[in-house]
Amino acid sequence: MNKVALTLRVNGVSHDLLIEPRKLLSDAVREDCRLTGTHVGCEHGVCGACTVLVDGRPVRACLCFAVQMAGHEITTIEAVAQDGQLSPVQQALHEEHGLQCGFCTPGIVMTFEAFLKENPNPSEEQIRDALSGNLCRCTGYHNIVAAIKKAATQMQESAGYVAP
Amino acid sequence: MSHPEFHYIGKAGPRKEDYRFLTGHGLYVDDIEVPGALHACFVRSPHARARIAAIDIDAAKQMPGVVSIVTGRELSAWTDKLRMAPPIEGLHPVEMTTLPVDSVRFQGDPVACIVATDRYLAEDAAEQVMVDYETLDAVTDMWQALEPNAPKVDESLASNLILHQSYVHGDPAGRKREAHRVIESTFSQNRQTHTPIETRGCIALWDEGRQHLTFHVGCQAPHPYRTQLAMRLRLPETQVTVISPDVGGGFGQKITLYREELTVAALARHLKRPVRWREDRLENLTASSHAREDFCRTRAAVDAQGRILGLEFEILEDFGAYCFYPGNYLARGVATGLTGPYKVQDYAFDVKVVLTNKVGNAPMRAPTSVTSWVMEGTMDAIARELGRDPVHVRRLNMLTAADFPYTTAAKEVLADITPRETLEAGLAAVDYAGFRTRQAEARRAGRYLGLGICVIVEPTTAGSKFYKAAGIPGSGHEAAWVRIEPSGVINASVGLGPTGQGYETAMANAVAEGLGVSPQHIRIQLGHTDVAPYGMGSRGSRGGTAGGGTLYLCALDARKKVLEIAATMLGVADFTSLRLLDGRVERREAAGEWNPTHVELTDVARIAYLDPQALPDDMSPGLEFHKTYDPPPRTYSNATHFCEVEVDAATGGIHLGRYLVAEDCGTLLSPTIVEGQQHGAIAMGLSGALFEHVEYDETGQNLSGSFADYLIATAHELPSFEILSMHTPNRSTPLGLKGMAEGGVMGAIGAITGAVNDALAPFAVVANRHPLTPMYIRELLRGKT
Amino acid sequence: MKPAGFSYHRPKTLGEALELLSAHGDNAKIIAGGQSLVPVMNMRLAAPAQLVDLNDLPGLAGIGAKGAFVEVGALARHYQLVESEVVRSLCPLLAQAAETIGHYAIRQRGTLGGSLAHADPTAQLPLVTVTLNAEIDIASTRGQRTLSAADFFLSVMTTALAQDEVVVAIRVPVAAPGEGAAFEIFSRRHGDFAIVAIAATMTVEKARIAGLRIGIGGVGPIPVAYADLCRRFIGQPADASRFKQLAQAIRDAVEPEDNPRIPAEYRRELAQILTERALTRALDTAQGNAP
Repeated sequence: MNKVALTLRVNGVSHDLLIEPRKLLSDAVREDCRLTGTHVGCEHGVCGACTVLVDGRPVRACLCFAVQMAGHEITTIEAVAQDGQLSPVQQALHEEHGLQCGFCTPGIVMTFEAFLKENPNPSEEQIRDALSGNLCRCTGYHNIVAAIKKAATQMQESAGYVAP
Repeated sequence: MSHPEFHYIGKAGPRKEDYRFLTGHGLYVDDIEVPGALHACFVRSPHARARIAAIDIDAAKQMPGVVSIVTGRELSAWTDKLRMAPPIEGLHPVEMTTLPVDSVRFQGDPVACIVATDRYLAEDAAEQVMVDYETLDAVTDMWQALEPNAPKVDESLASNLILHQSYVHGDPAGRKREAHRVIESTFSQNRQTHTPIETRGCIALWDEGRQHLTFHVGCQAPHPYRTQLAMRLRLPETQVTVISPDVGGGFGQKITLYREELTVAALARHLKRPVRWREDRLENLTASSHAREDFCRTRAAVDAQGRILGLEFEILEDFGAYCFYPGNYLARGVATGLTGPYKVQDYAFDVKVVLTNKVGNAPMRAPTSVTSWVMEGTMDAIARELGRDPVHVRRLNMLTAADFPYTTAAKEVLADITPRETLEAGLAAVDYAGFRTRQAEARRAGRYLGLGICVIVEPTTAGSKFYKAAGIPGSGHEAAWVRIEPSGVINASVGLGPTGQGYETAMANAVAEGLGVSPQHIRIQLGHTDVAPYGMGSRGSRGGTAGGGTLYLCALDARKKVLEIAATMLGVADFTSLRLLDGRVERREAAGEWNPTHVELTDVARIAYLDPQALPDDMSPGLEFHKTYDPPPRTYSNATHFCEVEVDAATGGIHLGRYLVAEDCGTLLSPTIVEGQQHGAIAMGLSGALFEHVEYDETGQNLSGSFADYLIATAHELPSFEILSMHTPNRSTPLGLKGMAEGGVMGAIGAITGAVNDALAPFAVVANRHPLTPMYIRELLRGKT
Repeated sequence: MKPAGFSYHRPKTLGEALELLSAHGDNAKIIAGGQSLVPVMNMRLAAPAQLVDLNDLPGLAGIGAKGAFVEVGALARHYQLVESEVVRSLCPLLAQAAETIGHYAIRQRGTLGGSLAHADPTAQLPLVTVTLNAEIDIASTRGQRTLSAADFFLSVMTTALAQDEVVVAIRVPVAAPGEGAAFEIFSRRHGDFAIVAIAATMTVEKARIAGLRIGIGGVGPIPVAYADLCRRFIGQPADASRFKQLAQAIRDAVEPEDNPRIPAEYRRELAQILTERALTRALDTAQGNAP
């Protein structure tokens, strides 16, 4: 049991951990940082439920060891809403009934917080393409797609851009 | 299609429970922090069938962090066996120990449990457990299971045939002799598994001082589960509390008490320390519960026009190795519900269920999902055989409004359903004639479009009369309480087990409608067996009618007492001239209009709790109500599903185009939630028909142990869904509720298969097994394109 | 599914990384993107005692034009191949192929070097390097060497890399003027590993095939480029009937393995139809670029 000391920066907060190198980022975030919003669905990188942002890019937390992430900025679902105010993606998912059991939802929010920054005006095909890395067993994806479209439109409007 | 004006139900709107899920503050089992909890991990058999000769745990016990290791033997001393022996005709009783003691029956069968300080260490130790197996030949498919000298999955039985039931009504054999044609069709449904995104898991907390077990587990039916858990642990029900927190999907997998969960509970009590378990995905795919895997055959005796004179049906189900449910639980429902919306009185069925060395079956969202594919596939076969249009054949045989109530050949009474109306409305919406034109044009250009039509009748709620008639022990009633607090807000509860269906919203609407208060002031508490009343849980789409119905009726009782008190406060003689709306008492004036009074619910509540002397004579203080409700034996929803596809004849690839469903789900507690349930059900059906397949090789090795092997449809493969709402109320239930949430699976399976076959019609081939893989499609087309 | 324990190393220079690999031999495994390795470790199908993390190594993620080649560092992530202007304009086949890899999140982490070293028979990047006959630079404590892609892939998940060697960069030829490219993939679901994949490039002069490359993945243990077959079609008209012939020739040339889930005949059929479709698409983009 060779534990190593490392500091993980999660949502702008430093966490000093003493963990085995083999501890997955998903487990370290949940147990050692006590942020349980990141969910574990498969531990082999397919379901996307564990998606977090690393330096702003979506990453499957079950496919990294926590030790690899020292020196990087990790963002989890808990940091998305600001002072109880939902982000456009979260608000749109709520309005469009884009969640049911909620287990896959944080992974989807994180994926699209990143995706919409790079792709502010995606087509339905592009949305479904990006969403295909997140498995949902409840919704059939239809309302999630509608929510992302709505969020994209809303984000552009508040940025002053109105789609033609 | 008129129904009364509702104030709170039937209105679309976002859910109340979303905030915590959107912000990562949901509380699922694995999120619950328990300081000092130990972690369990199971050692599982690598063999499909073997005797356990010896288990050596010495090396494992020395591993870092290990606190305890137990096998089936210790657990047999601490717990009782499961005896599955309901008085059902043709069903053999079976027993199940908590963990296998002498032999294993499927690859993945748990044989030992390690408890360690963390899961990583527990898995290290699991690798060091040495089990000496004497491997035996395994039974790996349903046909082999039936062979006379097949190895026996359960040595206590005479054969692997766990259930055999037959039934005949009228003279289907005679109809075959008279028929113009007898058309035979077969349907093979693949073995599937539920795969909720949250796997199973539990936490057992044993209070040594109180001798009380608190058990956190994601569970669709907390009270029946509590009863089972207590019984198996030999504890009275007063010493066991089950708490189901937020649950990441169930779909039927999270109903029964599993062996792993019972093991964890027994260990916590024995060790006097909290023990927790989180199932990993490999376990979930290979060792939790499976479903479906049926082979069906129909023989339809028809006249020259395509009218069905008589119908014979056979089903053979591969039930896996262990009976978590009685063997007839799933397959019989297919047989009794097969005729669906059609007029067929000369009907016979034969149901056989066999055991094999695979994971045991559990109901999976629409356990009778194959029903509509079989019946609609039979209609399509009739149409093909006689050269008639498939819609024509359906119209010829379908029940219409004038036929209801209709007693089917299987003695089910169909009433308040509208299959014909949904068929016609859907045909118009998809422009059926226009599709046929497009299809013909496309064929000339070498492109193969198809349209599948699937009419479904979805049995939803089952009242206790149904269980009695079917010989299944148990009740279909539901229980609720409503408590108006002194400040006028409402706490309420019902015995359902949420796993994503939005009960906090839908059930609040039911209470709101019954009482006359906005849902925002109503909190629905669920899942805690000390808080919620004893109910039968969530399955079989009973939540709406049983749960919502009970809450509504309970809220009506609350309303009555509130208005009686208000009448006294207002000096009104007849409380029926009052109503509650948005928490304010209104009075009906002579001219018939309602006017607000100065009395609000908060005023009434204050008096009921704090000034009972001001209550009407002989009225007791407080505003707390309890109710039970037993629904009709059966309620039904119905719909017609339409699926358009294009089949790429060169690759066998199937592209999904337009998907439309015309549905009648009765009164809706929440249209938003109903729409979401329909999407999810259709998605699961399409995914199952196209991609999902639990595969075992000929030695019983499970080849589907990861999401790279067991494929679920993603957002890329699934289409958008159009819903045509044509709801009509049930005249025997509170509010006209019917319930829904599983019919979409039935409709999708039938519609996609019908669509593929319609597309392939020019090649004179029929796809009759799932999944509809590109390789299978090409196998059908090879040499014909 | 938790992985077995290991000692973790995070070298800051390539030299340090190579020393570690040399010192630990068979006990060491490299982790780059981790998208292929970590699932396997989580399932305990691999349990290296030493993990050498290459993610901090500087200078290995560059993408740039170098004369007649585009050079791409081994640590370039898949999404970078998709988005890089250099790759999109000078080697569009590579960008097209990378876009089909897995999903959005996978592409953020997965690396070129990792994909090549993993050598899955149906993977996109090995197929592209073989089709373009890329050069692959390899380093160890013994120095640097360069292999052609044809020599790099030996068998299923087996390359010519020694235990202590690391891919550091590849060079792919810059596309010829007017060269069209098409990457065609057929899989069960979007983002899954291919059943069969085709990489094709084509240049056209006066409506005749002037240059042609076809590579196929999924019909054998390693991706194969059909250079000889392509040569036979140089000078032929670039039209649908020729493409059909080519596709038929491909079908006759491939020797896929038979297995119960995916019969050999099915792979042959896919190889044929996907070749035809790839050639048609390559022609479309070629004509668009033709001078």
